[in-house]
Amino acid sequence: MTTRKSKTLIIILLLLLIHVVACAQYPLNQQSDAPFDKQAGYRFEHLKPGPYKKTDNLFICLAFSGGGTRAAALAYGVMQELRRTRIRVDGEEKSLLDEVDVISSVSGGSFTAAYYGSFGERLFTDFRTKFLERNIQGALLARVLNPVNLARVASPWFGRIDLAAELYDREIFEGATFAQLEKNGRPFVILNATNLGPGRRFEFTQEYFDAMGSRLDQYPVARAVAASSAFPFLLTPLSLKNYPLAKGYEPPWWYAGAEEPKDWFTRRYDAAKNLDFYKDKKNGYVHLMDGGLADNIGVRALLDAYAHGFIQQKILDGDIKRLVFIVVNARTEGEDRLSAKARPPGIITVAEKTATTAMDNYSFESVAQLRSELYSRVQAQMDITAANRRLARYCPGAPKFAEPQMVDMYVVEVNFKAVEFIGEDPRYYLDLPTTFCLSKEQIEKLVTIGPKLLNASPQYRCLLKVLQAEAEGWPRPKDCPAGAGIMGN
Amino acid sequence: MTEYLVVKFPKPRKVLLNGVPKGNTNELLPLEAGKYTVSLEPPPDFKPPAQDIDLGNTSAEHPQEVVFN
Repeated sequence: MTTRKSKTLIIILLLLLIHVVACAQYPLNQQSDAPFDKQAGYRFEHLKPGPYKKTDNLFICLAFSGGGTRAAALAYGVMQELRRTRIRVDGEEKSLLDEVDVISSVSGGSFTAAYYGSFGERLFTDFRTKFLERNIQGALLARVLNPVNLARVASPWFGRIDLAAELYDREIFEGATFAQLEKNGRPFVILNATNLGPGRRFEFTQEYFDAMGSRLDQYPVARAVAASSAFPFLLTPLSLKNYPLAKGYEPPWWYAGAEEPKDWFTRRYDAAKNLDFYKDKKNGYVHLMDGGLADNIGVRALLDAYAHGFIQQKILDGDIKRLVFIVVNARTEGEDRLSAKARPPGIITVAEKTATTAMDNYSFESVAQLRSELYSRVQAQMDITAANRRLARYCPGAPKFAEPQMVDMYVVEVNFKAVEFIGEDPRYYLDLPTTFCLSKEQIEKLVTIGPKLLNASPQYRCLLKVLQAEAEGWPRPKDCPAGAGIMGN
Repeated sequence: MTEYLVVKFPKPRKVLLNGVPKGNTNELLPLEAGKYTVSLEPPPDFKPPAQDIDLGNTSAEHPQEVVFN
């Protein structure tokens, strides 16, 4: 009798297990159920300026790099400092943070960006306890080892990333969807991931979802953050469905004429090919991993917006007079212990270097490219202005050169490498691990060093001086000429 | 690689690139290289109605010029 009961119990448990495995399926993104509307959804052009009467006159973009909790804490410290920094724009006093229009983020930095986008000022009251000071890795591990979840992750349609997304959704993002980000208005938060198929950057914006015939508004922010921070091997990819295009779909304005074979080497051609991946419905699914695989600094989304997206539009419309990029780079760099040894490094060291060296170099080049593109524009502005001034003086009747919209530009980088220039030891920060579990002391040091590095940046100091001079009606400070906001003075 | 375009027209008017407003006439427009269809916003008091261009090999001092009458 007892044996029969035990067998029945085992059969019931097995059936339950089969049921749990069979039912485990990652939540799908929704298909667009209405004709295409380029004014709807989570896109910059459609967002309200937000609660702080942001002016486009001063247009601030933040880029938050990857690097686990280290990156999230550094970004948090910088945001705290921007919030403390008072400015006067168009006669109104506000904080620099109030003027932030865009945040592009990767991996660990995406937690800070998405939390601010979802809850605004609440970032400064509960984000430390809800995320920064928590052992997120431990919480994830506990969920994975839960017997029910062990059965769920045995399903090929449900992975560790889906467990992570559930945790983030319940305990950090409280069920927020992109509709909430849209309702909150600016800053426009671009959460970056990597599409494993073509190996390209992917962003959780309606423009990307348009090409997937999908709507982003009902998609949980936590899943986007999970994709952005899905560290390879520890977490599994997060998948989206690529639906047929909505009726009346129109690609972005720059797409027409972009794929001329002779232009194969240009960024515009490359961007068009990226869009083609989603338009090609043979690619039925999009499998995403950590945004750091494609761009670990979050700058590429901003470069695209500057080259042919919403930043370019605002410049051409004459709305932006001052354009500021603040790049928060939590990159670390282990001490070089290899070069002093005669013996070549072992396979583990080589594997680690192989995984990180290219990514680090690419991050460096991304910021260098941002500086270079903005500086060449400033030089062109200065050349045209100088030429017209000389023409007016020496040849008043001659036609003038056509002038572009004049924009004052800044690129500020917060980077642990600069710690030595403020008289502190950079090794402490450069040796911090990439993890979702740091001590309270480590968090405190990161939150404190961010503002110090920001205020030590010559480009940032120039920005503050120029803003103050403008507010007071003073001439532009002589030690901050045009271009000093990019290359320093 | 930034290229430069100037769309010349006697009146100030929004320039349309691939049908989308992108800056103004008689201004220097920094753009990505490649093909575009250039036109102007209404009223349709200009000729020709549109021009296809291949933007490249320009500088701020020597932009590509597109003229509407």
